[in-house]
Amino acid sequence: MSLVENAGFELSRRVFLKQTVAVASGLAIALYLPAGVAATGSKTTGGEFEPNAWVRVLPDGTVKLVVHKHDSGTGTQTALAACVAEELDVNPMTVQVITPEDPFFETYIHPVWKVFSTGGSTSVSLEYDRLRMAGATARALLISAAAQQWKVSPDSCSTEAGRVVHASSQRSLGYGELAGAAAQLPVPANVTLKDPAQFKYIGKLRHKRDAAAKVCGRFKYSIDVQLPGMLVAVIQRAPVVGAKVVAVDSAAALQVPGVRKVIAIPGRPDVLGGNLEGVAVLAETFWAAQQGRKLLEIRWSDSPLAGFDSAELPKAQIAAISDPATQTVKAMAQGDVVGQWPGAAKLLEADYTMPYKVQNPLEPICITAQVKDKAITYWGGVQVPSSALEAAQTVCGIGKDKVTIHELVSGGSFGAREAKYWLFEVAYLAQQTGVPVKLLNSREDEMHALFNHPATLHRVKGALDAQGKLTALQLHAVSPASPEQWEPGYFERPDHMDYSTTEAITAWDFAYRPPHLELNWVKHESHVPGGWYRSVSFIPNVFAVESFMDELAHAAGEDPLAFRLANMQERPRHVAVLKQAAERAGWGQKLPPDTALGIATNQGYTSFIAVVARVAKVDGKARVEKLTCVVDCGLAVSPGGVEEQIYGGLMWGLGHALFDRLDIQQGRVVQSNFHDYRVTRMSDMPPVDILVLDGQPDKPGGVGELGSPSVVPAIANALFSLTGVRQRSTPLSLG
Amino acid sequence: MIAFTVNGERRELDEASPSMPLLWVLRDQLKLTGTKFGCGMGLCGACTVHLNGVAVRSCQLPLAAVAGHSITTIEGLSPDESHPLQLAWVAEDVPQCGYCQSGQIMSAAALLNTGAPVNDDSIRNAMSGNICRCGTYGRINKAIKRAANAPKEA
Repeated sequence: MSLVENAGFELSRRVFLKQTVAVASGLAIALYLPAGVAATGSKTTGGEFEPNAWVRVLPDGTVKLVVHKHDSGTGTQTALAACVAEELDVNPMTVQVITPEDPFFETYIHPVWKVFSTGGSTSVSLEYDRLRMAGATARALLISAAAQQWKVSPDSCSTEAGRVVHASSQRSLGYGELAGAAAQLPVPANVTLKDPAQFKYIGKLRHKRDAAAKVCGRFKYSIDVQLPGMLVAVIQRAPVVGAKVVAVDSAAALQVPGVRKVIAIPGRPDVLGGNLEGVAVLAETFWAAQQGRKLLEIRWSDSPLAGFDSAELPKAQIAAISDPATQTVKAMAQGDVVGQWPGAAKLLEADYTMPYKVQNPLEPICITAQVKDKAITYWGGVQVPSSALEAAQTVCGIGKDKVTIHELVSGGSFGAREAKYWLFEVAYLAQQTGVPVKLLNSREDEMHALFNHPATLHRVKGALDAQGKLTALQLHAVSPASPEQWEPGYFERPDHMDYSTTEAITAWDFAYRPPHLELNWVKHESHVPGGWYRSVSFIPNVFAVESFMDELAHAAGEDPLAFRLANMQERPRHVAVLKQAAERAGWGQKLPPDTALGIATNQGYTSFIAVVARVAKVDGKARVEKLTCVVDCGLAVSPGGVEEQIYGGLMWGLGHALFDRLDIQQGRVVQSNFHDYRVTRMSDMPPVDILVLDGQPDKPGGVGELGSPSVVPAIANALFSLTGVRQRSTPLSLG
Repeated sequence: MIAFTVNGERRELDEASPSMPLLWVLRDQLKLTGTKFGCGMGLCGACTVHLNGVAVRSCQLPLAAVAGHSITTIEGLSPDESHPLQLAWVAEDVPQCGYCQSGQIMSAAALLNTGAPVNDDSIRNAMSGNICRCGTYGRINKAIKRAANAPKEA
């Protein structure tokens, strides 16, 4: 999802007080904290010190920090806990971290999207200030409690590893000993945040929590949930979007030992993002359910999408550009682009296409739910609690107060766990059976589930003057709307913009400023349901823009790096990552024979990245030899975590460049598993060189989705330099 | 009845189907859930265990095929979670989501079992059947070398 940087946000006055807090630097920042001790989101009563939605101190000294964001391997539990722990003065690696007792407590709502959700590389960047405040507020109260007990000034007290210390009298009290007294004190209006120079954890973390449990099979994922009386469900979903079940013969399936029920699940075309029609087999084990499923005989109705062929999609996408009925939204415009075509010394035009891509988290979608006594309980990795709530309300008629989530870390998401079809399906099965139902996708189900990354076409046109200067640039990005349209009223805003489809082509993310500029989103729906996907529309938008900038540079006879820099204005951070990445990769220096470099860059999530790909020809085939990248993400709260996210992003970018491709023929997905849908393996990964700059010390940017977009054009640009052949469709050919 | 050894312990299964893949026997009948399901076709490596010390994909191995043999899962790799690879994995902070890591470690352990030299080439050969979607390949390489006391390359 996009983070609209200039979006103001208004939170419910009923629950929140707007507090203006003086921080150590003298800056006044606005923060939102719960209005009182009661507003903590905790369901416990008495004994605990719970000054806000993130801190719990028990009388026995146990400190629990609430992390209200889903962790799918992104390290949010470590990074967010560190923000609170730093200010509270406890060790984020050893302190207990819990998920919200009430996932729908209003404080946990996403400050921009207004839903309970994790995504958009926003968890650290948007929560940083208020999590530090939460820790600092708790610490101030504990100090006050100790100072009152000792009858000394709070200013004469300090904290150290979970204790309040009065150094001059050599006294100290553990946080647990102070919990009862601290809980009676009013929450202060002003607290002082640490000077970043004093940070012990923020900016220094090289490790994550839970590594030990994950190396010996102890760590529990959604797939490991086991409950008494539980049935495991697999679902044969409509093979073509919109197909309905005409008839099911389940007799043979029900003969399989362990198979207990076969249940048809109605599709929810009335819900944006709702599930397709399907037939579920419920059994004692996944294996039995799969055996039963093979024996199902289902007759499906015809569907309007039965004629859909993804190979034909570009034709329809091109036609949409000039179709007056198409909704075209200007993401950015200045000057008169079309007026520049006649007088141009050189005119370039190119079309770039990218295919459907599948998220493929290694843990397939898995969720357990039970409906009992007019309440629903979920067990598993729920990235978007609002979708779990929507499923409960829509499918079961169960309201917010009766929804419980036992939240688990998931085995990857990359957008797959922001889909809602599986929550609707499991809610339906739980409602129908009354027993705990564990829904588990097979890999084939993941490949066929859709709600993945849409296929796109970008037409770009540019004009160069006689001196090779870029005078005009026009882009038509043909793409369906993002799943952000699932939010009620999303397109009822006056600008009709879809910020998640226009990533990298808006005024704040687009780097170049030729005199005449027009960047359009052409809304074209193929009716294949789209989903969230790591880096969303940055991927095709950056591929098109950064490839075309390279084409323009070559047409102008300019160095691609110099050409980019010449078209950037007042973008010091962007210029810095470009220059440094080029330098580290040896840009402009003599290369070995049959070797070439390609460069690309993008900004996103208030962070900047530049990538240089080095390719070489070996035995007549091209090979990606190295990826070099430089990142400015402001403050890296967890530098180890930032490097991991960037490495993962580079790996995903390599996958987009060389492998990812899902075909649809006659409305049916062609690929089925990792043999015909390749993902990046260790043997594919070239050496990578990642430099994370010391950025602004007070403001973290997002990194989870920063790494991949520039990789594809960097490789395509390098391949052009190596072979002289421009490739404009992914996956790219290595010859 | 099918009998085999799991993590040094003899197990006898009376009602298991001989065609059921070992993966699901381990997970659902023996409650050894450290071994993970990723693809069901032997393509991702998440279900890797050892059959007589050699890495195999348990999703492709019918129970009948392991009768009389010895199976080691991630839970049995070391008695106290102190196998050099497990320690190295923690020291290098390898896991992100962690879901693939049981399989990764079992593949790496099989590599070390062979006594073959540990270097970039042998690591790549041994580990390229194990998919990680988070992107831990670089740290896996380092961790295997750390466990093997091999010199750092690349």
